[in-house]
Amino acid sequence: MSKQQVPLIVGVIIISFLMIFPFVYTANNYPYVMHIMIAGFFYAILTSSWSMLAGYGGQFSFGHMGFTGIGAYTTALFCHYIYLSPEATNICTEFSVGSQYLVIVNPIGITSSTLVQDCLREAMSIWDGSVKVTPMPVWLGIILGIAMGGLFGLLIGLLVLPLRAAYLALFTLGFTEILRAVISSELDITRGQAGLELPKLFENGITIFGRHFDKTDPLPPYFVMLFLLFFCLGVLYWLAQSKFGLFIRALREDQDAAAALGVNTTKYKIMLFVITSMMAAAAGAFFAHYIGIISPNNLMILQMSLVVSMAVIAGIENIFAAAIGAIIIEFTLETLRTSFDVPLIGVEVDMTVWRLVIFGALLMITLRLSRNGIIAPIINYFLRGHVADETVAKRKVSDSSEESA
Amino acid sequence: MINLVVKDLKKNFGGLHVLKGVSFEINGPELIGLIGPNGAGKTTLTNVLDGAIKPNSGTVYLGGNRIDQLQPFEVARHGLGRTFQVTRSFRRMTVLENLMVPALALDQGLSRSEIDDKAMEVLEFLTVEHLRNEYAKSLSGGQQKLLELGRLLMLNPDVIILDEPFAGVHPKLMEIIYKYIERVNNDGTAIILISHQMDSIFSLCKRLLVLNYGDLIADGTPDVVKNDPTVIEAYLGSDDEED
Repeated sequence: MSKQQVPLIVGVIIISFLMIFPFVYTANNYPYVMHIMIAGFFYAILTSSWSMLAGYGGQFSFGHMGFTGIGAYTTALFCHYIYLSPEATNICTEFSVGSQYLVIVNPIGITSSTLVQDCLREAMSIWDGSVKVTPMPVWLGIILGIAMGGLFGLLIGLLVLPLRAAYLALFTLGFTEILRAVISSELDITRGQAGLELPKLFENGITIFGRHFDKTDPLPPYFVMLFLLFFCLGVLYWLAQSKFGLFIRALREDQDAAAALGVNTTKYKIMLFVITSMMAAAAGAFFAHYIGIISPNNLMILQMSLVVSMAVIAGIENIFAAAIGAIIIEFTLETLRTSFDVPLIGVEVDMTVWRLVIFGALLMITLRLSRNGIIAPIINYFLRGHVADETVAKRKVSDSSEESA
Repeated sequence: MINLVVKDLKKNFGGLHVLKGVSFEINGPELIGLIGPNGAGKTTLTNVLDGAIKPNSGTVYLGGNRIDQLQPFEVARHGLGRTFQVTRSFRRMTVLENLMVPALALDQGLSRSEIDDKAMEVLEFLTVEHLRNEYAKSLSGGQQKLLELGRLLMLNPDVIILDEPFAGVHPKLMEIIYKYIERVNNDGTAIILISHQMDSIFSLCKRLLVLNYGDLIADGTPDVVKNDPTVIEAYLGSDDEED
């Protein structure tokens, strides 16, 4: 086995572990641990796609959580407000679609003083169970969320074209804050801080290989998020190895030099924003359906800082390092929540606070001592450790052939 | 047949007239020196020719196609390549990856292995083939200049602008750059060589363009330009100024 094969073998072990983990882990805290794992996969998608954007492409955007929110809110609003009905309500906004009516429910928010229920609920109470209304499929909402993420990615990509470095970071930070403010203030539609409820990923449960899982069972969402992570990593890896990956790295290094060598920097910069935004939106949409509620707090700068920190600690220039790091850090942050007493002095250590101190310290140490994180240099050691020796050997051969000539 | 036609090119930055109607033509694989004192407008002219800066007026045609309003990547694809005064290699990419960027950007229909072979040939010519898997940041300043020249070979343009290729380069590497210029030129590429090293300019170039404060004050053979009083004045100053 050569040194270069080590990361591949470790990758296979990690994948195998993640695939069998839910079947072999049987402790009492199973649902809690499964939740942490699912959240870990969610952050892994965000950090790896952000690593492609910032680490490979040099586009240091703070808008990634904004795209997550766009994906989540698009599917939430779609599932919350649109229904199919075989009968016209005559009180909602509705369109005839074949033999059905597409009903758009009126927003009543959480503070309406005149309405106690929306138009569809009112119609349903009149129908008294004689008409069956169908909610929109979750998968369609997720697809719309991803598409909307891509659309906003295109828009932001176009707007930030002339911006670089700190200006880009500030612009995208502003974008997320505007989005959060709009969602927070549009109480009638989004229910503001109260959050918008979403149907579960498998609202009616799901049967796999003859076994039925109800909607609260963590196993189906575990594999949905895991496969979404695998899919995103697969796409990101393929892109990184293609000319797209080469060009965006050239873009990161020197945009003007890349353009002078024939690279259409505008096109690749926009493509980079669209692809990574769609991944963030997909993660947001799936995770929102898993959690069952989305609120503007999910878009807070603190959440974005967490994603950036995870990527920086693990290694911003390697999508796999970023993904692995996100899962480990999410798991560590959650397990460090348990406070404890120091026996001799009788002081309680509040780990809900101290875990963040430890996280912050780790971030500072990483930034100071290892610019490309902790995990990425280990992978690089195995993949590129032989390069220096090869260079020296080739140099010696070339020198000796020159001497003999 | 290479044909670069620059006509009445003007560029102002605010009230500063950096190019004041520069016109010249290149027909065929000429090796031309572009000289002038600091602030003469040489780099601005280069930036306008490669599309990084748009001129206020005037036109540039390459091979019959107007290129002065195109983006830099389009200009490169039309066949005009350049190096930069300060070397701009892709530092956190390997030497081989640096060479692959222009080859893939041109989309000439070459397979990866064909591009690899071409890149290896270029690296061997530049005597840095042993560094192919090293990151560009680990190369010396001179080797990075060679890498920049290698990228141009991969781009295979009709016209190359070399901006100060000899600055800060070891004599041994300078020899390689000399060979590079001669080979590329012999292969049918026109070269515009910008340098303050007059020995190199006079020994390599058959034609010189002299810029001074945005004006093209001379265009001719090295012997003619060397004895042109306007050029001597631009470089050494007039007797009046000395007084």
